[in-house]
Amino acid sequence: MILTSVAIIGVFLLIFAVFVVKDLVFSKKGLLLKRFSFRETLCSYLMLLPAFALICVFVLLPIIYSLGYAFTDYYLLTPNQTKFVFLDNFKDIVTNIQNKGDMYNAIINTAKFVVFVVPLQIGMALGLALLVNKKLRGMGVFKVLYFAPVVISLTVTSFLWVRILGGGESGLLNSFLVKLGAKPVSFLYEPQQAMYWIILVSAWQGCGYQMLILLSGLKGIDNTLYEAAELDGANVFVKFSSVTMPGLRSVTTFVIITVFIGACKIMVQPMLMTGKQSFTITLNYLMYIEGYTYRWVGYSSAIALLMTIVIGAITFLQRYLLKEED
Amino acid sequence: MKGNSARKAKKIAAHSVTYFFSVLIAILFIFPLVWMIVTSTKTEVQYAYDLGSLRTFLPNLKDLSTFFDNYGSVLTQYDIWKYALNSFAYAAAVVVGNVLINALAGYVMAKFSFPGKGFISFLIMFLLIVPVETTIIPLYSIVHNLGLSGTVLAVIMPPLVSVFNIFLFQQFFTNISKEYIEAAELDGASQLKIFSVIMIPLSMPIVATVATFAFIGVWNDYIWPTMVLPSPQPGEWPLYPIQAALTTIQSIEGVTTGEVMASLVITSIPIFLIYVFAQKYIVEGIGAGGLKI
Repeated sequence: MILTSVAIIGVFLLIFAVFVVKDLVFSKKGLLLKRFSFRETLCSYLMLLPAFALICVFVLLPIIYSLGYAFTDYYLLTPNQTKFVFLDNFKDIVTNIQNKGDMYNAIINTAKFVVFVVPLQIGMALGLALLVNKKLRGMGVFKVLYFAPVVISLTVTSFLWVRILGGGESGLLNSFLVKLGAKPVSFLYEPQQAMYWIILVSAWQGCGYQMLILLSGLKGIDNTLYEAAELDGANVFVKFSSVTMPGLRSVTTFVIITVFIGACKIMVQPMLMTGKQSFTITLNYLMYIEGYTYRWVGYSSAIALLMTIVIGAITFLQRYLLKEED
Repeated sequence: MKGNSARKAKKIAAHSVTYFFSVLIAILFIFPLVWMIVTSTKTEVQYAYDLGSLRTFLPNLKDLSTFFDNYGSVLTQYDIWKYALNSFAYAAAVVVGNVLINALAGYVMAKFSFPGKGFISFLIMFLLIVPVETTIIPLYSIVHNLGLSGTVLAVIMPPLVSVFNIFLFQQFFTNISKEYIEAAELDGASQLKIFSVIMIPLSMPIVATVATFAFIGVWNDYIWPTMVLPSPQPGEWPLYPIQAALTTIQSIEGVTTGEVMASLVITSIPIFLIYVFAQKYIVEGIGAGGLKI
């Protein structure tokens, strides 16, 4: 492992050296050796070294390894018996999906989470931003209140909502249901609804942050545009669709992409709110269980690779489509 | 005159509707937080008694003798202050290291010319775009193989570098006039001195933003520390940071709801203070994030 890492970093340094030589020898005007001062070059390298070394070990190597491990049967406790198994991990994944195993559930649950949380969270954020943006007395206070859930961490959020949604009569919500004469429901352990509660809790915790971003976008829209629209007799909806939406386009792109990527990674909430359950397991959580709990780094990396490809492709597509519209 | 007052009435009605919804949404947003704080001041008996009525959202002000009992037991019995101290130590190390390392790199990328620069800036751009969110398992295996797992270094080292922060610093330093550097060079100052005495003070706003986000990131991190650090053993100083300790406290036998809530509140206080006092830098950071795309 250490040897492989050194080799990978060596190859990487070699590529860097090739570019250094290229810069030294060639320039647009042809051969030119004396373009760089030696002192400045040495200084640059020394000052870049800490960041560069850390990037190599903690950013670049993990990316390259996650590519490589996906095609091996690497088991963390017996690293020396690692074999190259080509597509076996992916075949296992396909079989698992066909048998409706963990992988199948993880894909369904993650898709469900992303499909619901992205519009919900951004919709809530936009609604709150528009509300808070009204020029009324006291709106600053409401802005702070809507932002409040962002301040608590995902861990605190999860443990807090476990107590609110808890089963039996000791959960906050259930205690009121029982008072009203209904039977207590174990919200987080009902296969039909658990994921939706996680979606709701996540949107509640996160939307204040996007509210702030959208609010800064709203503040950037020229007020004369609204006045002009008003003179043309535009109503609220026309103003929203012809002034607000176009003005928010670039901010919205950013918000959609970041919320989307964040949603694809969801793990802490199901982990702490329900534990490993077929109805709440997500891709990132499954990857963690396979790679960390069971130590099957190879299989786990295959899942990670699929996730990376999907996240990368959809991010690229979103960016491409939104650029197209401009 | 009549039309004017009718318009006024309409305006007041519209404002009332806005306020009504604002308050309604505010209640929906903060009732869990209010409940968390209120419950943290109640004994288990009081909590069970209040459950199911609106009293559950109100503190019990009749008997103040037990008001801070849960905080007392969380601090002394469950040693949450040790975990909090750990979190502060990890966050401080990461904040200082992260700012220095990334500012240095961003400064070089903005102001120096050297062979291979094109390649490095390509690398930075590439790493900004590639989704690195799913590399936690390979990262764990690297840290494990380096012999770092189980040590404090495993929590501190990976977050020291951030490609995005390098990019932020680079953007910032590009806008600073080169005359500062040239003047200092004429005075015979070393590059490191120019960086630490001139550049860092000039870049205080961005330093504050990066530091704030680094602190929040380390303080709120849960999964990575639980992967690389041993769970707390009785009789030893624990290595877990506070978020990870919440799991430990949850699973202690006989822990009361009030005590759990008290630990959640204590965990949230530093981040709350940061949002109150460093709000400006957070808003700037959010803006900088928006520039990224």
